[in-house]
Amino acid sequence: MDTRLKNVSRRKSTKVLAFILTVIIITTGVLLIQYLAFTGREFESLFLEEYKDSSHFYHNHILPARNRVIYLIQNKEQVTTTPDDLNYYYYVSDGETVSTNAADENIEFFEQFGKGNNSPEIEDWTYGEYTDGNYLYHYEREGQFSLVLAFPDEYMAAEQEKWENTRESLMPFVIIIGTLLILALGLIIFLTFVTGRKQDDDELHMWRIDKIYTEILVIAFGTLFALWLAIGIDLFGYNMEVQLFNSNTGTTNQLGLSQIYSLILYGLVTVVMITLMGILFLSMVRKIKAKKFMKHSLIYTIYFKIKDFLKSFFDGRRFEKFPLTKALFYRQMAFIIVSGILVAMTFLFIFLPPFMIIPPLIEIAVIYWYVKYNNRTYEEINKGFDESLQEQMKSERMKVELITNVSHDLKTPLTSIISYIDLLSKEELSETARDYVNILSEKSYRLKSIVSDLFDLAKSTSGDINLDLEKLDLKKLIEQTLGDMADEIDTSGLQIRTRLPEGPVYIKSDGKRLYRVFQNLIDNALKYSLKGTRVYIELEEVNGKAITVIKNIAGYEMDFTAEEILQRFSRGDKSRTTEGSGLGLSIAESFTKVCGGEFVVDIDGDLFKVIIKFDIMK
Amino acid sequence: MDHATILVVDDDREIANAIEKLLTFEGYKVIKAYNGLEALDALVTNDVQLILLDIMMPKLDGLSTTLKIREKKNIPIIILSAKSEDSDKILGLSMGADDYVTKPFNPQELVARVKSQLRRYMYLGDMRSSNNSSLLVVGGLSLNRETKEFKVDGVPVKLTPTEFKIMELLMSNPGIVFSAEKIYERVWQEEAHSVENTVMVHIRRIREKIEINPKEPKYLKVVWGIGYKIEKC
Repeated sequence: MDTRLKNVSRRKSTKVLAFILTVIIITTGVLLIQYLAFTGREFESLFLEEYKDSSHFYHNHILPARNRVIYLIQNKEQVTTTPDDLNYYYYVSDGETVSTNAADENIEFFEQFGKGNNSPEIEDWTYGEYTDGNYLYHYEREGQFSLVLAFPDEYMAAEQEKWENTRESLMPFVIIIGTLLILALGLIIFLTFVTGRKQDDDELHMWRIDKIYTEILVIAFGTLFALWLAIGIDLFGYNMEVQLFNSNTGTTNQLGLSQIYSLILYGLVTVVMITLMGILFLSMVRKIKAKKFMKHSLIYTIYFKIKDFLKSFFDGRRFEKFPLTKALFYRQMAFIIVSGILVAMTFLFIFLPPFMIIPPLIEIAVIYWYVKYNNRTYEEINKGFDESLQEQMKSERMKVELITNVSHDLKTPLTSIISYIDLLSKEELSETARDYVNILSEKSYRLKSIVSDLFDLAKSTSGDINLDLEKLDLKKLIEQTLGDMADEIDTSGLQIRTRLPEGPVYIKSDGKRLYRVFQNLIDNALKYSLKGTRVYIELEEVNGKAITVIKNIAGYEMDFTAEEILQRFSRGDKSRTTEGSGLGLSIAESFTKVCGGEFVVDIDGDLFKVIIKFDIMK
Repeated sequence: MDHATILVVDDDREIANAIEKLLTFEGYKVIKAYNGLEALDALVTNDVQLILLDIMMPKLDGLSTTLKIREKKNIPIIILSAKSEDSDKILGLSMGADDYVTKPFNPQELVARVKSQLRRYMYLGDMRSSNNSSLLVVGGLSLNRETKEFKVDGVPVKLTPTEFKIMELLMSNPGIVFSAEKIYERVWQEEAHSVENTVMVHIRRIREKIEINPKEPKYLKVVWGIGYKIEKC
């Protein structure tokens, strides 16, 4: 039932019909009013019960009577006799002479009449003393000239009856007009509800006219309304005058041809105006329903454009194409410049006090934006930073996984190679074949050590390494390493010179890894030193740091820089030997760093120097 | 001992075959399995004295297999794995393995470790049962204070008097770290002064005598920058 009602009420034809009906009803209503004006019906009779209180009585009886009396008095010389057909009594006195048509020329005569209610001031006549008569008007002039008017009861009773007749003849029209008004109101309310709605959905459908700015709609509506009202009132006044003329000349209440024409013309004007106003009104209604009434106005649009323009300096849009730091700098500059301008404007507006409030208000908005969007930008930076950190961690994890997998994939076949070479060496082989097997065996072990070193290095540089950090004595560690390598040192023919402090040097590190560091460094020194030279190992405490220096004289020309030697896999070409993986120095560097130390390589001519620094533990 | 049966478990058939050959040369009987489940089946039907077990295998991995085996048997298990991190080794040993060999391994070292584990397994009862207060036992090492005899997995090893004293000190406190100074004072009975090198050289000598791979010692360990200790087994 509801949907059927909805279907019917939202149908276009229903709406158009309702609209046309509204126009017709309103037009009929106003035409009726105009027609009544033509026919000279006293609308006052609707509101005033007593004829004696009406302005009709005042204008049609009191004023003419007074004028007449004054005329009589002023032209006493010419008018000698008082006319007998007067339907009122008067009494005029200037203190000495009395002029009246009352029986005894006595003021007491008027006391039989009631007092008039409606006694407005008349020009130079002021309302003065009065008696308690019903239809008595008492005027005084300049304190000495007084006028008293009185209408007889019979006359007033007759007028009152006429008054009531008018009211009764008006009543049906009032009811009709009232009904039309209620109908029109109902239709307008109905149209207000259904406008913009369609049968098939619950969306609000805007018309093309709704694109017009709200102010223009309002102004157009107001102008039309004012115009229509002015025409209506004008015509109404004209009708009244015509009616007055007709009644004065004794013509009947029949409409003349010109009046009919004017009514038709007015009806057409009303139809057009009401139609236009209706369209405008419904457009406004749709805008209100769409919550666009204020927003879609010229003032708001201009306000919004200005606001948006200002805002774009702070929310990042204006400086979008610049790098972030630059954009932030420009935003800051914009803030300072805008604030400066606003301060200057505040001072300028000192001469226009009401406007002085505007720049501070804008400044508040600017500060708000500046803080808000800066905050947002910082949050975005933070977010991006976190994301990139996550990304980095993820890629590190993947790297470690890759290393683990590759390492496994390398080690498994290598196990087979080594095992089978060993089995092969147990077979009966010719001398040559045995030599070959020996070479294979040697190379496979070298490959094993390279894979192992590579794995260690990759793990330590990827950061995924389990450290076993503890307090240890660096001096002791160096001595232990030297003791461990005593055989290699002896066979190398080189001498190791140590300069270590007396007492222990405690640092926090991973002993096993640090042992690898020194083992690799000493190994390198033994391998690449010039025969007959000495390798120096020094440890000292400087400014809370344990500084270890290992230096040796290279047995070859070092045509590479400190950076190059630390590059993984790289070794000075001339120094390439068949032993080792070439990763010793890189592993030493990487392990030192993961253990929290500093690692520096210094090449000075033939002097090769490695400096390792650790914080001393208290 | 020469007829001991060894179960080799590795999903890589070539490696399993190579180990089989290697151990057959040494006179052992070898059974092969290619994953943890097969290994458990083989243990039911065969009398096995030692197991060589890979970790990364399909169906049932080496660590889980170790746990399963340890529920019933205490035969020696040597893990063979490409995982070479200390943490992997500690995990494997704590699961109940007796030794951990990383791939790629030296075949001769593997054979030595197999022999060592078998000897220990066979003679462990004797050493423990002697219950002699003058006998110090740590893992496969045994030291007799009275006879001054030192054995590794039941095989006598000749140690110099100083080396013997060092081992006696360390073995009577397994797991405890001794600094070079402390060792020197207790062994040499002299005030220690710049003795790190002296002690280290002795430690290295002892290692060469008692360890299968002196570069990766199982018993006598250097705690770098601190001292020395015998690993508690």
